Amino acid sequence: MMMTARNISLSVNGRKLLNDVSLDIAPGLFTAIAGPNGAGKTSLLKILSNESNQYSGELSINGTSVSQYSVTDLSKVRSVLPQSSHLQFPFTVQQIVAMGRHYQSSPGQTRKVLKEVMALTGVQGWDERNYLTLSGGEQQRVQLARVLAQVWEERDYPRYILLDEPTSSLDIAQQQLIFSLVKHACERNIGVMAIVHDLNQVAQFADTIYFLKSGTVVARGKINEVFTKSIIEETFCCRVNVYHDPCTQCPYIVPDRNIFQSPLKTVNV
Amino acid sequence: MQAGTITLKQAKIPVILISLGVALGVVFLFALRIGQVTIPILEMAMILLKKMGFSVQYEINAVHETVLWSIRLPRVLLAVLIGGALSISGAALQGLFRNPLVEPGLIGVSSGAAVSVVTLVVFGSSIALYPDSLSMKFLMPAVAFGGGSIATLLVMRISGRVGKTNMAMLILGGVAINTMCGALMGLVIFFANENQLHMFTFWTLGDLSSATWPALLVAAPILVLSSLWLLTYQHALNAIALGEAEAFHMGIDVEKVKRGIVFFCALAVGVSVSLSGIIGFVGLVVPHLIRTTFQADHRLVMPASLLGGPLLLLLADLVSRIAVAPAELPIGVVTALIGAPVFIFLLIHARKRNVIS
Repeated sequence: MMMTARNISLSVNGRKLLNDVSLDIAPGLFTAIAGPNGAGKTSLLKILSNESNQYSGELSINGTSVSQYSVTDLSKVRSVLPQSSHLQFPFTVQQIVAMGRHYQSSPGQTRKVLKEVMALTGVQGWDERNYLTLSGGEQQRVQLARVLAQVWEERDYPRYILLDEPTSSLDIAQQQLIFSLVKHACERNIGVMAIVHDLNQVAQFADTIYFLKSGTVVARGKINEVFTKSIIEETFCCRVNVYHDPCTQCPYIVPDRNIFQSPLKTVNV
Repeated sequence: MQAGTITLKQAKIPVILISLGVALGVVFLFALRIGQVTIPILEMAMILLKKMGFSVQYEINAVHETVLWSIRLPRVLLAVLIGGALSISGAALQGLFRNPLVEPGLIGVSSGAAVSVVTLVVFGSSIALYPDSLSMKFLMPAVAFGGGSIATLLVMRISGRVGKTNMAMLILGGVAINTMCGALMGLVIFFANENQLHMFTFWTLGDLSSATWPALLVAAPILVLSSLWLLTYQHALNAIALGEAEAFHMGIDVEKVKRGIVFFCALAVGVSVSLSGIIGFVGLVVPHLIRTTFQADHRLVMPASLLGGPLLLLLADLVSRIAVAPAELPIGVVTALIGAPVFIFLLIHARKRNVIS
């Protein structure tokens, strides 16, 4: 039981944006997708979230092809957090988080779920606050609460959350908070997939990593398997040094500052 | 923020709806009572009872009876139906396009409906179809619906690809289609006879005075059904407020909702126009007032528009009947006189609060 994508290819105006991409999102694990700009990460997420259907390949959730799911059934197994949401109307925080529960079970359960996810994301007590007056980080936490609420309730099947750069434009404390929340969600038989730009955060939180470059998966595996100097330099065309945190043994990278003195062609691509 | 504003914003949905309902009831009775002849409430009740077939031991003034039953009651009922249909359509379209400045007139429904009805009336007479005949009572709403739908679909076609509507293009497309409809209407009127010329005011400025029972009986079921059907979209519209993709991920079949809303708005507005011409601004102002006074949740905005629209239109109709008595102002003039300044105020206010980018 997992969410799988097999041999996904996408061409737009004759240009190949994705080439034979396969990936698995397993419940209980945090799968991160990283890669340079223009690698096709967002295109892939749009396909995985059925926002675009101009692709070839096969998508399935819990063993059933996504084409067999109705829109409503899909919303019960998968929720998606887009990069940014623009709201024109002054909804309250409570109203927005509760929208994630529209097709879900009883009002009693909904109250319980809302209470839990709002406490978890630190937006409890904001029920009547106007969403439009919140800061960017606060808005992102409210959106995350909504996305969590949608799949939070315990079910006898795994659920999935897809996140598109959930921490862009947040400060480091907010970033850490979002990722630890996401890890927490994994414990509820939820599989999480996120596009992440910051490699050190990938190293800290991700269970499985996919490196995407020019529409192709160039590396996949656990942190220690893919977090090597050669793989990262090859993927990002940037000289880096990989170190290890002396306390946690977690790897972290430091890009070489002399990128201009050492022209890219010297990098072994 | 003042204490009063906070309590209004936190008022429970049922409380707001009941208050609006009571206000509507009171204004409804007033609208029946006031006019060139004033009919006492008791006599009104007796006349209605008599019409329902009860034997009434009360001396009823025959003039009062005619005025109430044949003129005022259909007119007031028409105002209620049209007010409700226009404002819930406005609320639904604002929600669908995620913009508080959309109204049925903007996306071409009203003018598309008007031009098709005018065409029917002017050229219908040459094939022996007269506005007062029964077949026209059915034909006019149908044609209005058709014209309204075509205009709306054109505007939507101009404004964007499927799934993504460009707001600037929507407004410009609406302007283009509205201008074209206005020109077509002028062209048709050019062929009209002296008698039909008077219609031009009727269709472009709106008029409730032509209300008759047969027209009402044809239109009422359509207006009631489409208005109530639009109510069922309140959950979907809440989700769409976050974005079409977001709504889709929350389990809303956005394309289906879009088709449904455009269809039922075209139906409601088209039929309204076929009865009373273009009455502007009701569909814009009412949902907006509710949103700013109370809250943005469509579970409130939709039903409250259904009650607030009739309330506003009844009041506007009262003004149009009383202001220059014994003559009458076209109701569209009254709603535009009230609506346009409100619209300007909202625009400035919205820009200040960065609600419109």
